[in-house]
Amino acid sequence: MSSESTAILDDYKYGFYTDIETDSVPKGLNEDVIRIISEKKQEPEWMLEWRLKAYRWWLKQQEPKWAHLEYPPVDFQDICYYSAPKKQSENPDEIDEELAATFEKLGVPVHERNRLAGVAVDAVFDSVSVATTHRDLLEEKGIIFCSISEAIREHPELVKKYLGTVVPYTDNYYASLNSAVFTDGSFCYIPKGVRCPVDLSTYFRINALDTGQFERTLIVAEESSYVSYLEGCTAPSRDRNQLHAAVVELIALDDAEIKYATVQNWYAGDKEGKGGIYNFVTKRGHCRGKNAKISWTQVEAGSAITWKYPSVIMEGDNSSGAFYSVAVTTNKMQADTGTKMIHVGNNTKSTIVSKGISAGKSINSYRGLVQVMPDAANCRNYSNCDSMLIGGECSANTFPYIESENSSAVIEHEATTSRVSEDQIFYLKSRGLSEEDAISMVVNGFAREVFKQLPLEFSVEAIKLLEMKLEGSIG
Amino acid sequence: MSEALLEAQAVDTLPGFDETLFAAIQAEPQPEMLKRKREEAFKDYLQIASPTNRDEEWRRTDPALFPIAEVKRLATLPQVDALPAGPSDDEFDVVIAVQADGFAIMRNNDTPEKLGITISSLAEAAEQQPELVEHYLQGKALPATSGKFEAFNDAFWNVGFFVHIPEKVEWERGLLIRYHITEPDSLLAPRLVVVAGRNSRAVIAEHLESADDIRFVAVPERELYVDESANFKLVSLQEWGAQSYQITNDWGLVQRDANLNWITLNFGTTRSKMKFGSDVAGPGSAADMDGIFFASGDQHMDQRTLQIHSSPDTYSRLLYKGAVKDIGRSVYQGLIIARPGAIRVDAYQTNNNLVLDNGARADSIPGLLIDADDLKCSHGSTIGNLDPEQLFYLRSRGLDEEAARRALILGFFEEVIDRIPQAFIRDIVHRNIEAKMES
Repeated sequence: MSSESTAILDDYKYGFYTDIETDSVPKGLNEDVIRIISEKKQEPEWMLEWRLKAYRWWLKQQEPKWAHLEYPPVDFQDICYYSAPKKQSENPDEIDEELAATFEKLGVPVHERNRLAGVAVDAVFDSVSVATTHRDLLEEKGIIFCSISEAIREHPELVKKYLGTVVPYTDNYYASLNSAVFTDGSFCYIPKGVRCPVDLSTYFRINALDTGQFERTLIVAEESSYVSYLEGCTAPSRDRNQLHAAVVELIALDDAEIKYATVQNWYAGDKEGKGGIYNFVTKRGHCRGKNAKISWTQVEAGSAITWKYPSVIMEGDNSSGAFYSVAVTTNKMQADTGTKMIHVGNNTKSTIVSKGISAGKSINSYRGLVQVMPDAANCRNYSNCDSMLIGGECSANTFPYIESENSSAVIEHEATTSRVSEDQIFYLKSRGLSEEDAISMVVNGFAREVFKQLPLEFSVEAIKLLEMKLEGSIG
Repeated sequence: MSEALLEAQAVDTLPGFDETLFAAIQAEPQPEMLKRKREEAFKDYLQIASPTNRDEEWRRTDPALFPIAEVKRLATLPQVDALPAGPSDDEFDVVIAVQADGFAIMRNNDTPEKLGITISSLAEAAEQQPELVEHYLQGKALPATSGKFEAFNDAFWNVGFFVHIPEKVEWERGLLIRYHITEPDSLLAPRLVVVAGRNSRAVIAEHLESADDIRFVAVPERELYVDESANFKLVSLQEWGAQSYQITNDWGLVQRDANLNWITLNFGTTRSKMKFGSDVAGPGSAADMDGIFFASGDQHMDQRTLQIHSSPDTYSRLLYKGAVKDIGRSVYQGLIIARPGAIRVDAYQTNNNLVLDNGARADSIPGLLIDADDLKCSHGSTIGNLDPEQLFYLRSRGLDEEAARRALILGFFEEVIDRIPQAFIRDIVHRNIEAKMES
């Protein structure tokens, strides 16, 4: 790996590049690359077989084009599918100093001295997981929280049982690609009746140039268990586009609850739309048992292109799904994001709250599906999708799909698109606030309903992120 | 030449609607201008790929559902002097009656003549005022890129009408267009071009019927031009028979300070795919679009509405109310489009659906496509059954279950029915809803 840094400077706070030695496979994708990845991860035979099946399926698929997005074709042969920091120390509790410093700079507490933060962290750097904290505490409760590669080695029976059961490798183009080449991600298993005492968190960072990150996260909550999971992501500022195609699968059994929160701040490209991450992600939760609950909360503030629809399949009776989202697009960012709520069981409930904020020359689209199956009685959905426009050159679109095949379903959908209210800005300015502060206050109020779903520290961070993003986009 | 180019040049015709049929139509005596227009449309028709259920717009209504191959285009309809009168003909100044073997334009009085209003077949209008008709035919009301069935109608239409209301004319009693088709295995492609001149005011009602025991396909197209400060109202009541099919493409273009009021009432057909689009294209213009649809038995109704705002300071409001019962299926797909620069726009879109039986299905896909700021665009969509509390209340007041349900369903539609200006149409709508509830 060359040490030359092509990182470019701009306002993106996390745009630095860490110069470390990496172990990468050559660019390009073929069966051999997949075999190398599998071998490097010391995976069992069945895992490799699965990857190869996914790859062969992927070869037959076409890239989806239906989203309201425009970007040049991705050259899948010009991507490096595996990149790992070279110096992996013998002692798994110690991580490379340079890496530690990187995560320190990002504000991720990889060393446990940050116990106060009350968060167990798994940090993923390019393609491998570099550190997982709070292991003892979690082990006591029987919770498994480790990188997915480790889980494949240590808990193959669990991974085999659940992997690909929510998002099969045949699901869609990017999910197939991910299934073939996924490198790291987190695995979480919460045993029966356990309430996870700390928030679990994974921090993803793409560092190397021309690397794709293909993480795979699998969370299984056994009967009557509870877990709250946070995910954060950043990447260096570069003038070339990088691909991120993750798959996240959540499985909640009887009476279990999973809360999944993401603060996505991948590098979004510069003001002219050069560079940035292509974020093509498949996230899906499956309420497999009765009374199960899954909620997605996302703050989408980065990425040049976002294609992401965290969904919930409510199969168990009385289960519920929720989706809370704030998506901010500025400059030339494009986002096509939303959710799918599939009601299969009786008395299932779903809530969708989506707040889109578009500024600059960006395009921000909400796309969602609410589907009630013919045999699902007494289902309820409420959706609210609001868009706010800042500046005259951006667009905001809403494409909700509502399909009801059961007469007992009650579905309500509401969406509005409007400009930042001039009256509100005027009032705040008359009270002595600057225009920027006033807008930031109005925007925060607009997104509050979603922010309050986040754990406190994340919520504070999300508000700051929003302010930072919108800085200078007013006027 | 590259393969892609070759492919693009391949012709794509619907079964039976090919060069041979078109040549026969062009050989009929008709004004030169119409002939030319048909020719242009036919070229488009050959180029545009036939839709498949892989296209987003047709994903929920497979084009293969429409038996185009099994029906024959009715020969271009001749004009006759008179056809049997209808029960509500007296309420209008002029009535156009259309049957498979011909159409008649029947004038009840000379008001339109005195006001200078043109009501004639497209052919006659094209002969007398070729420039005026050409200006509006396939004009700007239609989207820049037309679809397969728009081009189909433009090339193969077999009956067409041109209505022109001159400047400052207030036409109180208006026009009724009645269709009654009894010819089995036939296809009718009617066209209607309406021009409401500056500061004019007018109303047109349409009543579409066909026999229940015949297979029949209708591919209508309407172009509505509402000029500056005009006020135009169209009420379209569709009761095609139980074995009929319909694919419509209707467009309205609304100029500065003008107002289009458009009500569509859909009860008939076994399968239908309808598109209603309005463009408020001048500052101060407004479009009100209301609709009722009710799919019972195994009916399948697919409606797409477009509220296009291509000018600043424009207003649009849409309310579509639908019900599905038995194994009926409805699709409502609506889009509000604010073009770049369309600021100070106020647009609202509501779609309410009643799903009355398990097995019935309603899809609601409201949408917003906004490329301007400083505006307010919203949509609201609901799907549900009758409110059990309201049912309980009515029953506690002594109504039986059936009567309570009927009252609630009629109440649900009343918001739209109220806006229908003609009492006899309101009655027919009530009858239709009651019949569907009882079936």
